[in-house]
Amino acid sequence: MSTIYSGSLAPFAVLLWPLLIGLVPIVPRWRANALRLLPFAPLPALGFAMAGAPGSVVIPDLMLGVQLGSGPDTSLLLGMTALVWTVAGFYAALFMARGSAAGVFASFWCLTLAGNLGVFLAADIITFYIAFAAVSLAAWLMVVHDRTKDALAAGRVYIALAVLGEAALLSGLMIGAAAAEDLQISTVRAAFADAPLGSLGVGLLIAGFGIKAGMVPLHLWLPLAHPAAPVAGSAVLSGAIVKAGLIGMVLLVPEETGWRSVLIVLGLLGAFGAAIWGLSQRNPKAVLAYSTVSQMGLLLVLAGAGSQGVAYAALHHGIAKAALFLCVGMMMLAASPAQRRAVLGLAGLVALSVAGLPLTGGALAKLAGKQGLSEMLALAVTLSSVTTTLVLGWFLIRLAQIPAKPQQISHWGGAFVAIVGLGVLALVLPWVLWSGIVDLPRDYVWRPPNMLEGLWPVLVGLGALAVIRRVKLPEYPPGDVLHLIGNHKLRPVFQLPVGKQGVQYRKRATLRLLLMFKIAERWLLHWPVAGSTLMGVALAVTAMVWIAS
Amino acid sequence: MTALISGLVLPLLAALAAIALPARARLPVALLGVGLTLAASIWLAISVWTNGAITVSLGGWQPPIGIALRADGLGAALGVMTALVMAAVALAARHEMEPLVAGPRTSFGFWPLMLLLWAALNAVFVSRDLFNLYVGLELITLTAVALVAISGKAEAIAAALRYLLFALAGSLLYLAGVVLSYAAHGTLDISLLAARTAVPGDALALGLMTAGLLVKTALFPFHVWLPPAHSAAPAPASAMLSALVPKASLLILLRLWFEAMPELATPVALFTLAGLGALAVIWGGVLALLQARLKLIVAYSTVAQLGYIFLVFPLAGGDGAAQPWAAGAWTGAMFQMLGHGLAKAAMFLAAGIYIAAVGSDRLSDVRGLARALPMTGFAFALASITLLGLPPSAGFTAKYLLMTGAFASGQWAWAFVLVGGGLLAAAYLYRPLTAIFAREIAVTPRPIPWGWQAVPLVLAMLSVALGLLSSVPFDFLQIGRPDQAAEGL
Amino acid sequence: MTTTLPVLLLLPSLVPAAVTFFLPQDSHALRNILQLGGAVLKLGLIVWMLVAVATGATYEAEFPLAPGLVILLRIDALALLFISLSATLWLLTTIYAIAYFGTKAELSRFFGFFSLCVAATTGLALSGSLISFFIFFELLTLSTWPLVAHKQDKPSLAAARVYFTYALPGSAALLWAIIWLESATGPVLFTEPPDLSGLDPAALRAIFALFIIGVGVKAGLVPLHGWLPAAMAAPAPVSALLHAVAVVKAGAFGVVRIVYDVFGAENMTALGVGVPLAIVASVTIVWGSVRALQQDEIKKRLAFSTVSQVSYIVLGAALASPLAMIGGLVHLVHQGLMKITLFFCAGIYDERAGIKRINGLNGMGKRMPWTSACFSLGAMGMIGLPPLAGFVSKFYLGLGAIEAGAPWVLAVLLASTLLNAAYFLPLLYRLWFLPCAANTKCDERAPGLVLPAVVTATATMGVGLLAASPISPLGWATLIVTQGYGP
Repeated sequence: MSTIYSGSLAPFAVLLWPLLIGLVPIVPRWRANALRLLPFAPLPALGFAMAGAPGSVVIPDLMLGVQLGSGPDTSLLLGMTALVWTVAGFYAALFMARGSAAGVFASFWCLTLAGNLGVFLAADIITFYIAFAAVSLAAWLMVVHDRTKDALAAGRVYIALAVLGEAALLSGLMIGAAAAEDLQISTVRAAFADAPLGSLGVGLLIAGFGIKAGMVPLHLWLPLAHPAAPVAGSAVLSGAIVKAGLIGMVLLVPEETGWRSVLIVLGLLGAFGAAIWGLSQRNPKAVLAYSTVSQMGLLLVLAGAGSQGVAYAALHHGIAKAALFLCVGMMMLAASPAQRRAVLGLAGLVALSVAGLPLTGGALAKLAGKQGLSEMLALAVTLSSVTTTLVLGWFLIRLAQIPAKPQQISHWGGAFVAIVGLGVLALVLPWVLWSGIVDLPRDYVWRPPNMLEGLWPVLVGLGALAVIRRVKLPEYPPGDVLHLIGNHKLRPVFQLPVGKQGVQYRKRATLRLLLMFKIAERWLLHWPVAGSTLMGVALAVTAMVWIAS
Repeated sequence: MTALISGLVLPLLAALAAIALPARARLPVALLGVGLTLAASIWLAISVWTNGAITVSLGGWQPPIGIALRADGLGAALGVMTALVMAAVALAARHEMEPLVAGPRTSFGFWPLMLLLWAALNAVFVSRDLFNLYVGLELITLTAVALVAISGKAEAIAAALRYLLFALAGSLLYLAGVVLSYAAHGTLDISLLAARTAVPGDALALGLMTAGLLVKTALFPFHVWLPPAHSAAPAPASAMLSALVPKASLLILLRLWFEAMPELATPVALFTLAGLGALAVIWGGVLALLQARLKLIVAYSTVAQLGYIFLVFPLAGGDGAAQPWAAGAWTGAMFQMLGHGLAKAAMFLAAGIYIAAVGSDRLSDVRGLARALPMTGFAFALASITLLGLPPSAGFTAKYLLMTGAFASGQWAWAFVLVGGGLLAAAYLYRPLTAIFAREIAVTPRPIPWGWQAVPLVLAMLSVALGLLSSVPFDFLQIGRPDQAAEGL
Repeated sequence: MTTTLPVLLLLPSLVPAAVTFFLPQDSHALRNILQLGGAVLKLGLIVWMLVAVATGATYEAEFPLAPGLVILLRIDALALLFISLSATLWLLTTIYAIAYFGTKAELSRFFGFFSLCVAATTGLALSGSLISFFIFFELLTLSTWPLVAHKQDKPSLAAARVYFTYALPGSAALLWAIIWLESATGPVLFTEPPDLSGLDPAALRAIFALFIIGVGVKAGLVPLHGWLPAAMAAPAPVSALLHAVAVVKAGAFGVVRIVYDVFGAENMTALGVGVPLAIVASVTIVWGSVRALQQDEIKKRLAFSTVSQVSYIVLGAALASPLAMIGGLVHLVHQGLMKITLFFCAGIYDERAGIKRINGLNGMGKRMPWTSACFSLGAMGMIGLPPLAGFVSKFYLGLGAIEAGAPWVLAVLLASTLLNAAYFLPLLYRLWFLPCAANTKCDERAPGLVLPAVVTATATMGVGLLAASPISPLGWATLIVTQGYGP
């Protein structure tokens, strides 16, 4: 009997816990209140990450041999994910409508969460793939939860792309695993270099991860889905879930490959293009979604260039973006001008951090990310702050347009405190983690050139924003490329008409042929026919035998 | 020896007794005769199995002066098959040929005719003398014609007359051939003929005899008399006519070609015989497809099934010496003779039960009868399996051995006939089967005693068992097998 | 080595079959006890044997018929894989069928043929020679026909006719191939692959093609698949059994036997027939999925899905690399579990709610949660979502394809995944997310129907979750390949 597991069960328990909570709504009586448990689902993961993600485990009999454990990059993102999910769960627990639909939502929430955590904990590709599939597919429910027409349409696009991504990812992993003859992530990654079809494999991986990470032009679903989801869902989608695609790129796309430059090019395209396109949106969530595409583009550039600071930058973006989405939710629920001002203030602060205002967490993230980049790329990252400032400024403008709620809602304050906490963490956590992770002295942040590098783009961006406010921006529905293609909805395939003509005719022809046998049979019955055949056969046999003698 | 002789004498005696004794005693005597002859046939088979082929010279005179009887594996096997079918026919006829049901005349005529036919069949199975065979054949023909006509219906009389005329024409040709052969060689004994010095006239003699026998075997295109005759006769009679009667002339044909004059066989002649067989398979199959009556379907199926056996002419032997498993084409054909006999008798007896139950054998009338008479339906289905050549029935063994022979000898085109015939059989048997097993009952049937229903079932099971336990029958058929069966013609 | 065991394994299905035919229609209890007893007994025998075979034991029983016709029953690891699947699912389907039919008419006939069909499947698995394979193959055809026609209404009869029209020529092709091959090599036993060196490669290719046509009809290879969707007219337990273990699996199993035990992987590669077979399988996979997408009836959709999924097994065999073969073999089991779950559920929808078409499924998730949950699991498994059963087979197939140097197969797998998602996900969507028609009467309080579905659905998840354990189907398939066909 082989051992059931070896190592520490902690990482496994971290994954199992949300799954168990996800089972709670199965009991009808608990269904309505299942939402209350959501903030507790990611807590073990949060604790695990804060403890430095100690320990790893191998469970040989589970699946194709589950291996869990995390490295420095993944544990950072694990912690960020757990944090974002905790706060978003808290928001959902407070404000989402209870009912049977809530039970389903809670289940899928937990499943998505487990998948999202699993992506960062997996050490073998199967576990990774399972986690990835869980986070991709289960998140579909968040998109369609509201069942509005837009949500359903977004859900269709989402699921189609998610499934496509899964398929591409699986194919890519298979190519890698076949070459590696092993399932360990690091081995598979190393095997791509010499694998037959290795390049195709990497391409498939990039496509699969790119869909999740909102890489242009595979980002189609993102601006549709993120606004359509409930606020808590958008927060985790934009903050944490997209990072699953990013970590895939980091973990599995090998360094020595031409694909890296593709990543960089597409990343840049997204970083700038999406930010600008975001200006055509009116819905603040849609603006934020485009900002996510843009930020993810930036992170992809870092990943493509092999920057050490990808995870660090992603951590900041995850927390900040989740905070921004939650701010939208708070704004929608805000009744008093004070509340609205508070929300706007928080959102503005976080937005500045994302834009990379010096001394904010975002500035640190950018500095860390730029480290090791070529001059050109570093400049591009710096420049992207301009567009980021622009689009987030536009977001704030749109956020302020959200009409006030007529009456106060209970728990608003409590929730806001939590979100403020999240926003503050976005600003502060990079500071806290700096020395442990970034290979730069702490005063690097304070150096004037670095400060300046963070400041001027923001100022330029604000200036541009002031200009833009005066012109009427064009307005497009979310989903840019889809509209260019012109087909918004994936039409169901209907039954093809099947030709039935001809069957009758063929039947009749067969019948006629058969009847000929009957006529011939009658003919054989005539005595002259029968008699002469008889003599004929006798003579024929004679003749044939004669030949022999 | 006693077994051999009693197989000939017992049915004759029983036939005479059935005529002579008063009506009350007729049935018991006939059944006693059937039982004894059955026992004699089995006894003969057992002694052949233990001692090898048995040769009897009547009166102690050796051929060519005397007449020799010889029971080889094939003859004895056919004897047992005949006995089983006859016993089954008798059990079914006990009900069907009751004076109250069939009328006094039919009832009176049936038993002696049946026993007489049996005696004649047994005589043909063991005879080694061409004239003796002729006598047996004539006796078979006459009793068979009488059995067809026994009901006295106009349709039956017409069919019987046509049968008679065809059969007589065949007999005449056969007799002419026998006479030619006797004139040339001064002997009628098959074994002696085999050792003769050939003369040019042999070709004509063989041609005439072959043509005559083909008519009696109802090979295409001489099959036209068979379906009307077999379907017009009462079902137990049809069972004998279809299962047994053509086998007698076919056996003579085989003995002629394989034992008496094997050296006359030319590829083209063999091809022609097998070709006619192939045509019969197709023709019989297609026409069976077009029939609306159960008995006609079964009768046309006989035409088709007999066709397979003719494939033995080119296929026998094959590449036998090099590949022992391929030497079975001849045995395969014999399996077909045996298996078809059992299955066909089962089918006709089943049809008889249906006619007794609903008064008609039209497919539209027998619909749903499997519900009321499940054993009969099951029997028909089992028998169909043999005719289709599906495993593990005798039909499959036959088809397998013939096909192996075809491939082993490189004449794989004949395999098309075997396979295609099986598919055609599936097509023509599908309709009666679906009709019988239909959900709704078309005509409410009269109850049928269990004992009667079991009869065709047993026969059908035997036809399957023959394939399932084919190793003993296979070895049995090798006893006294002519060399040409293994070496080919 | 014992000779009685293989026969003993046939008896638990054959005896109930023989007895059930003669049971009166209304002796339900006796019939059910017979059927269930047989199934349980068989399962017990198999568990016992599994242990023995895992350690390398083989059991053989030989019955010579006429020369060349060797009936050889033999238990090896591959046989046992198939038998354990069929025995397990037989038991479940029997429970389901008993609940499904209740006290309807003609049950003795039904259960008689039902267990006969299982006996044929068992025999097929146990067959150690080509001829015994053929014999059981035919027995299977004959015993399933009455099951397809069971309802005896017009569609059923038409379906049964179509079934025969496909099955019999298929058998003819198979017989042709067997005899052609054996006339040159002598009787073929699976234990010792025949010496093919004496045969012309062209002839061998033709023989191979005939073999594949023969078993391909049953396996539903395009374009020989036409009977399968038609056979949907049969009652649900029949469809379940047909699609999961009996007929299509027999065909797929036949492909595996022929490829590995008759021709052998090297010969197949040398003859260049592996790739065409893989292409046929691929075309089937894609075509079946495309057609499934176009179906409006649940069972029809499932049927075309079977066409597509069973070819995974064929594909695994055709690729002739160890990993692909493991993938194919394990899919033999996995597809069975998933498909039977789906059919069980389709039957429940039909029987308990009168739902035949896809649009009837709207909102059933709430009304019939257990059924719908099982259905969803089965469907997700089919798509190949991890960690369900279908994923494991697909993963191994993909690895095997690369190993065999046929990376284009990945594209097929990819397309199939997408198509599977396209025709299954809308069903799940309807089940769980659309409001249901108010007037639908439904009720899933029928433990006999729901329990088997729950068991198979759980198994679908279980075999995926515990794939790496040595007692899982994957472990067993690996054992087969390393024991028997490893390099």
